[in-house]
Amino acid sequence: MHITPEALFEARRNFLKLGAGALVSSTAIAQLLADMPHDMNLTYTPDPNPLKLSPNTFEQITNYVNFYEFSTDKTAPVKLSQGMKTDPWNVGFFGELKTEQMLSVDALIAKFGLEERIYRFRCVEGWSMVVPWIGFPLSKLLDYLEPNANAKYVKFTTRHDPSLFPDQAKGLFASIPHPYVEGLRMDEARNPLAFIAVGMYGKRLLPQNGAPIRLVVPWKYGFKSIKSLDLIECVDKEPLNTWQAIDAKEYGFYANVNPAVDHPRWTQSKERLLGKLTKQATLPFNGYEKEVASLYAGMDLRKFF
Amino acid sequence: MKIFLVLLALLPLGVAYYKLDSAIDPIKMLYTTTGIGAISLLLLSLLPSTCKRVCHFNFLRYRKTIGLLSFLYVLLHVSVFIVLDSEFDYITIFEKSLKKPFIYVGVIAFIILLFMTLTSFKKLFAKYSKYHKAVYLALALALLHSFWAQKVAGVFEYNVVAIGLVLLGERIWAWKTLHVKTF
Repeated sequence: MHITPEALFEARRNFLKLGAGALVSSTAIAQLLADMPHDMNLTYTPDPNPLKLSPNTFEQITNYVNFYEFSTDKTAPVKLSQGMKTDPWNVGFFGELKTEQMLSVDALIAKFGLEERIYRFRCVEGWSMVVPWIGFPLSKLLDYLEPNANAKYVKFTTRHDPSLFPDQAKGLFASIPHPYVEGLRMDEARNPLAFIAVGMYGKRLLPQNGAPIRLVVPWKYGFKSIKSLDLIECVDKEPLNTWQAIDAKEYGFYANVNPAVDHPRWTQSKERLLGKLTKQATLPFNGYEKEVASLYAGMDLRKFF
Repeated sequence: MKIFLVLLALLPLGVAYYKLDSAIDPIKMLYTTTGIGAISLLLLSLLPSTCKRVCHFNFLRYRKTIGLLSFLYVLLHVSVFIVLDSEFDYITIFEKSLKKPFIYVGVIAFIILLFMTLTSFKKLFAKYSKYHKAVYLALALALLHSFWAQKVAGVFEYNVVAIGLVLLGERIWAWKTLHVKTF
């Protein structure tokens, strides 16, 4: 018995529709192209994975998330986000850079190409995972944007659209202040590890993982890796990131993974790798010490936590 | 009836055991199951006396069972902390964890409930039952601990606070009416 896999079946249907559309008009084709599903496989350069990290399963990564724009629960955002429209999606680039502009996610992919990065991900709450992200280095984007001499920091903002994110519609009763803001120092942003992800496990990001485009900073606690980006701005002052604004005693600007500096409520020396009943040691800079420690030479990491 | 009550209260533990293999964050899942179980049963143990006063339905005979079941959950919760989360690393437990308000607030609640459990049997109960009012302190501390367990508090915590306030309000009201009568 021959069964067509779902993806192929969908692809064939779309191909047939396109053919039919071509007979009618070119606007119909444009419409059909826009309706093409985006979970089609991405083309990318695989990560040779020199650290031999074994990624968590797709099921684990897509069913255990912090996405307060939907809910503070770990699994609730999965259902709540399924109707989220992530295409078309434009990201705005503003501030201290050569040309302020808006670009679609598809245009960014076309411009910078895609590669895979298998990274450790450590949440400030004490759990961790390994994720095979797909995207492009933030440095490629910055090279293209050409920040000027005043650009000392990069500020990231999540889209503010209460029709997409139910928590943003709650006003005073929202779980956190919206929109979510994060930031990096320019040299951190230019580090080759800092990454913009549009996919994971060969596919476009699912809504609950921050579709359609998000930041990934593997040596920092997960809350720095802001989701569903709306704005990327080059600025001269250190942006006040959301968790620091909520509680500066518990969350700082830098948020580098550091087993020696405890969270005021729990230790950070070990972590729970998703799917495991035993714990593992947390590594300085989440295991990326060699690549990023020099960024913080001479800084008191207890003060700048 | 008591057997039925016990089986019902133990059901979440059975579910947790069944789900352990496929749990994405198993240690956290065990913390949540045992923590929510302990607080829910503790809150439930305050209900019989309210019920007796308000709806004249007496099921005070189940109060001890509910309390002991709550302590079973507490004991499992503490075991998760020592065995799975700290992996018997007593140096970290004593030198780091116990210094954090989040942890020691939970430990104080545990000690109160341990004391209540040990003095809940015949002879000792006669002597120490007056100190069992400390259950209110234990519940408040457990609740604070639960608020601190996450980055921001969720629906469960606010519900417990709301129900707790209603039960407390009724007690104050009952105490006041009693007081007015004696004068």
